[in-house]
Amino acid sequence: MSTELSDDMIVCRCEEVTVREIKEAIHEGARDIVGVKRRTRAGMGLCQGRTCEKLVQQILVQELGIHPKEAGTSSARPPVRPVTFGELAKGEVL
Amino acid sequence: MCKEYDVVVIGAVAIGTSVAYHLAKAGYSTAILERGDVASGSSSHCDAVALICDKLPGIDTKMGQASIDYFAEIADEFEYDFEYVPKGCLYVCETQTEFDAASDYCAKQNADGYALRMVGREELCEMEPHIAKDLAGALYTPESGAIAVSPYKLCFAFIHEGRKYGLECYTYCDITKINLDAKTNQVESIETNYGTIKTKRIVNCAGAWAPFVGKLTGLTIPIEPRKGTNLVSEQTERLCNHKILEYGYMLSKFDSINFKRKVSPLVEEQNIAFNLEYTPSNNLLVGGNRLFRDYDIRSEIETLKAISERALRFFPELADIKCIRAYSGVRPFVIDHLPIVSDVDSIPGYYIAAGHEGDGICFSPVTGRFMEQIISGKPTDFDISKLDFARFS
Ligand SMILES: Cc1cc2nc3c(=O)[nH]c(=O)nc-3n(C[C@H](O)[C@H](O)[C@H](O)COP(=O)(O)OP(=O)(O)OC[C@H]3O[C@@H](n4cnc5c(N)ncnc54)[C@H](O)[C@@H]3O)c2cc1C
Repeated sequence: MSTELSDDMIVCRCEEVTVREIKEAIHEGARDIVGVKRRTRAGMGLCQGRTCEKLVQQILVQELGIHPKEAGTSSARPPVRPVTFGELAKGEVL
Repeated sequence: MCKEYDVVVIGAVAIGTSVAYHLAKAGYSTAILERGDVASGSSSHCDAVALICDKLPGIDTKMGQASIDYFAEIADEFEYDFEYVPKGCLYVCETQTEFDAASDYCAKQNADGYALRMVGREELCEMEPHIAKDLAGALYTPESGAIAVSPYKLCFAFIHEGRKYGLECYTYCDITKINLDAKTNQVESIETNYGTIKTKRIVNCAGAWAPFVGKLTGLTIPIEPRKGTNLVSEQTERLCNHKILEYGYMLSKFDSINFKRKVSPLVEEQNIAFNLEYTPSNNLLVGGNRLFRDYDIRSEIETLKAISERALRFFPELADIKCIRAYSGVRPFVIDHLPIVSDVDSIPGYYIAAGHEGDGICFSPVTGRFMEQIISGKPTDFDISKLDFARFS
């Protein structure tokens, strides 16, 4: 993928993070998906990065000239889909 | 080219960034080395509160209060916003036995001049309309003794402000060797993937990993990783108005306190102590527990179940709120529950600021200030000889 993304485009819809904010995070020192997440909250919302992770990766690759693998992935954290605390307490969904 | 600094700080999270900031501000040429990114250690896997009411009476509480006061100052002074929010805290007591124990604790802290007070059931229900209605009451700490900050923004803030005084930051830095003078044992230099860095002083701020950095110069630093887990809710209405902890938290933190709670075997075995906090982004953080699991921070299903079970006891409405994520981290545990903020007699130029267990965020500002005072040979704000490394020899 080498399409130019406009700076105002929203990358993470859950947390409303734009391309510009992601580029700024990279310039402040973020080198991978987790670093971007900590600085911008991209990937911290309801969908936990399912939608935006690829785009964040693409921006990292473009800005830093790295291989997609080096951009990493966010750590896999349970639960795999949102479940209520009530369901969790019963242990029914695990 | 060989780089040279007055001081090199190892580890760039809550403690290291504060130490580095204070040293740079005091005029030392300072570098901070971090093997990952800034804020990548335990400080990005924790809650974010600074409280006096989860500390033992004495120096523990004194440091907590000094740090909380200091947080207010730097929140004003710093350009970088680290989301400082005064919160107030309720330590909720499930039973009369807990209420009595909390009242004793409250009296001790009052005698030392701290403004905590007990609130009965009715007042508790007014302060927290969503809390279970059958609790005995709570220990209340006003905003002057209970605040929250963003743990990773705090680290970014110290680096940002430190750079104004010339602080240099090396991330993704691997330390391969620390060289000492053959005769005097004085610190001489550090070998890294950025080349050799000359320095006469290093500060080990590697948290739960401080023992590994210690080993590079043959030091035994008695810190162990103590795991904790939190659950994060979807964005939701504010279920609580204060930071909430159950009084049983004291029991999970300090083994010197013993009374039995009526809880399920799972909650007991998982050493769960309920705590609840809302974040500026309107998520709830639901915790927590303390377990020894070496450095393994994978989330354990049984822990998620036990935390949820205990949380519903205090906030039944959580049953219908969704959990979107869980995370775990390790606290740098020291057997006497006090951090090490000290020089090292056997190695001139070697300093340690680590082992803050569950209080690394809370103690961050004051630890930085103490370390600058120690290195500069000034008297510390108050007596911290209990934090001396020599207590283990
Ligand atoms: C679930 C949970 C909840 C918590 N809640 C709170 C709370 O509400 N309030 C509070 O005050 N505290 C809380 N804590 C505790 C807090 O997280 C820790 O006390 C704090 O993070 C310790 O900070 P630190 O800077 O000493 O260590 P760390 O944050 O662990 O940082 C150490 C750094 O050193 C780096 N490092 C290690 N070895 C090397 C090396 N060889 N070279 C270079 N760098 C190296 C690591 O990569 C790491 O980034 C909580 C902890 C957990 C797990």
